[in-house]
Amino acid sequence: MDFSLEFEYTKEQERFAEEVRDWLDENVPKDLASPRDPLKVSYEQWQRRRELGRKLGKKGWLYPGYPREYGGGGMDADHRFILIQELAKRHLGLPPYHDAGGTLGAPAIVACGTEEQKKRLLPPIFTGEACTWQLFTEPEAGTDEANQQTNALRFVRDKDYFIINGGKIFVGGMYAPPDQFLLLTRSDVEAPRHQNLAMFIAPANLPGITIIPLDLFIPAMFTLISGETVDSADGVKYQVFFDDVRIHESCLIGGERDGWRVANATLEVEHGAGGGRWIRRNIVVEKLLDQCKSNPNVVKRLRENPQLLDTVVDIYIGAQIERLFAMRNSSGVGAPYAGPQLELYSKNYGVRLTADIAKVLGPYALTDDGEWGLDEGIFEVAERGGICIAPGGTPEALKIIMSRALAIGR
Amino acid sequence: MSLALRLTESEEMLKKTALDFVRRDAPKEVIQDLQESDTGYTEELWRKVVEMGWPGLIVPEQYGGFGNSLTSAGVLFEALGTGPLPGPYFSSGILGSLIILEAGTEEQKQRILPAIAKGEQILTLALTEPGYSWEPGAVQTTAESKNGDFVLDGLKLFTMDAQAATHFIVVARTGKRADTARGISLFLVDRESDGLSVRRLPGFLAGRTFEVKLDSVKVPRADMLGDMDEGWQALEQGIAKSIPVLCAYKAGGCQAVVEMALEYSRLRIQFGTAIGRFQRVQDMIIEMVDHSDAARWTTYESLWKLDTQRSAAESVHLAKAVSSEAYWQVCSLAHRVFSGISYSKEHPVSFHTRASRSLYNYLGEPSYHRQQLARLLTL
Repeated sequence: MDFSLEFEYTKEQERFAEEVRDWLDENVPKDLASPRDPLKVSYEQWQRRRELGRKLGKKGWLYPGYPREYGGGGMDADHRFILIQELAKRHLGLPPYHDAGGTLGAPAIVACGTEEQKKRLLPPIFTGEACTWQLFTEPEAGTDEANQQTNALRFVRDKDYFIINGGKIFVGGMYAPPDQFLLLTRSDVEAPRHQNLAMFIAPANLPGITIIPLDLFIPAMFTLISGETVDSADGVKYQVFFDDVRIHESCLIGGERDGWRVANATLEVEHGAGGGRWIRRNIVVEKLLDQCKSNPNVVKRLRENPQLLDTVVDIYIGAQIERLFAMRNSSGVGAPYAGPQLELYSKNYGVRLTADIAKVLGPYALTDDGEWGLDEGIFEVAERGGICIAPGGTPEALKIIMSRALAIGR
Repeated sequence: MSLALRLTESEEMLKKTALDFVRRDAPKEVIQDLQESDTGYTEELWRKVVEMGWPGLIVPEQYGGFGNSLTSAGVLFEALGTGPLPGPYFSSGILGSLIILEAGTEEQKQRILPAIAKGEQILTLALTEPGYSWEPGAVQTTAESKNGDFVLDGLKLFTMDAQAATHFIVVARTGKRADTARGISLFLVDRESDGLSVRRLPGFLAGRTFEVKLDSVKVPRADMLGDMDEGWQALEQGIAKSIPVLCAYKAGGCQAVVEMALEYSRLRIQFGTAIGRFQRVQDMIIEMVDHSDAARWTTYESLWKLDTQRSAAESVHLAKAVSSEAYWQVCSLAHRVFSGISYSKEHPVSFHTRASRSLYNYLGEPSYHRQQLARLLTL
């Protein structure tokens, strides 16, 4: 076995890394801020990220793994890794803005769309022209995602159109409006569960659509805000209402009753199938361990209360296990349950960490004050992020998925 | 990226051979008998294991072994742990060999290591005493120089595999220094020596742990391993390298228990449905799987670090803290999944419960290794 993450470039790969570095030097705006708290990305900064996305898209670097004929980069895993590494050095992810509907919609379109749909729907996503929100969650369809109440019914006067009525909640991210939605709906109010759904890629600016921001205190999931890059994180969430919105049937992905199958193609990615995410550094834990060695205040607390040493060890052990699970998944040796296991572990670890950080650092962990907050307020963001465990499935839902993969659950 | 976590072809083969061996030669009736026995092995099993070269797996070729990596040893012991196959295989072939390699003179290595590899000598470590601790300060057994030889006096407690051993590596104090790690020497002591007596500690969960009394036991100077007073560092090194192999044994035990629990939860019907359908049962199994995987991967990373001469101290403490706890918890949870049936001495889960308890403290319990981690992380 080899656990090293050192990547020795071949000559060709080194040339590519250099090309990437040069390009990024030239095209990443010098004053592009990467605040750890996504809530602090200004509208103007967000526009710049979109602009950078379009430039990356032109080169096929925005969605580098997808086929060129659809606007992707057609790149192999090694080249993707180089690209992601170079972007991470600049604290940028791919895409460098919230695009959940694209990252999750694209695999669904590839898996379930017709050739015509792939040619039409994928290039705008892959070239960064379209920013896409994922619109699945509803007030009555949280963990029970199949319980969609937003109706998409054939328009009686023009059967080429669907009329959408209903509302979505806890969707979107960063700034509204996006360009389009990946929209899950109920297409048949009579048909049995799972056979009554339809998925659309729909423009976001149609008459009858209303987008209202929610006032939430969470910045994003802990796994997102603890990494080197934070731009995929989405602290801002919205409600989206559909009031007699007319969508053409060409927006449909898969068949009119195929929505559940299409949704599952996206959910598998979201729940960590296919090896899960890249191995991330856990910057929060790194900074915390630094504090334990170098902050006289913290060192004193640890001396005075040996119980806290045990807490530090708990934090360290949890981070190592999470890292090793991610390495296992990335190297493709994980069992079928490995994807949801890592997601579940990360979320539970994040929750535990919120308490452990507060124990070790005291109330300093709760403020991002310029004078009294520690490490530019990273712990304040982490304290909120650890609470945010619902996106991508609650731990309880992930347990159901993991049990299914272990062949004991339904 | 160099990240590659599959076993090599030869490791896969070793794993298969070892799993086949456990299935064929050590089915559950055999394992139950072995656990009850004082030595943990039979002559026939020992002969077969020696034929396969396992006692000399990591002994360098120049000393009559196969010179395999510690990772290979991990693969072997992970497979043996599925039994869990009792016996002095770890005590002698891994811990014994590594301490001799770290502490022994060239003459001693040439004399002792081939005997270990051929299965002629079986070693075990006699370190802890009534003032139980894995720190050097707790070593009270004395070795006094007399006419060029040594006389050992003291009591070793919780010594593993003492009945199976032909020789003990006895840790004894030869000098008094301010630094308790100095003034400690290691001795290879023949089990048949006058004044040496062995008594197995009773208790179903005590496993094969023994009290070893040393009452004026004469040891020739040639059997002092390495330099006088300087034994502790070599011992520490040998133990550190051995720990992940012991962890692999526990990880193998965890996997076997998880698989049994999974199978049982698919077959056992209560309230008209397989109990695996109940989310409370699923919760326990998920916790078991997490423990088991954590044990496995912390273990293999530490083995890799040792094999590639990377700094491994943190990893070794991590692996031992995680895998000791994991094995214990996995077994406890398994008893909740199986309930009454698993309380039987004949039930394989009880074999693992026994092993998870008796190995929990061996070479340092989680609290000890967590303390070491805290020291490395905060000072």
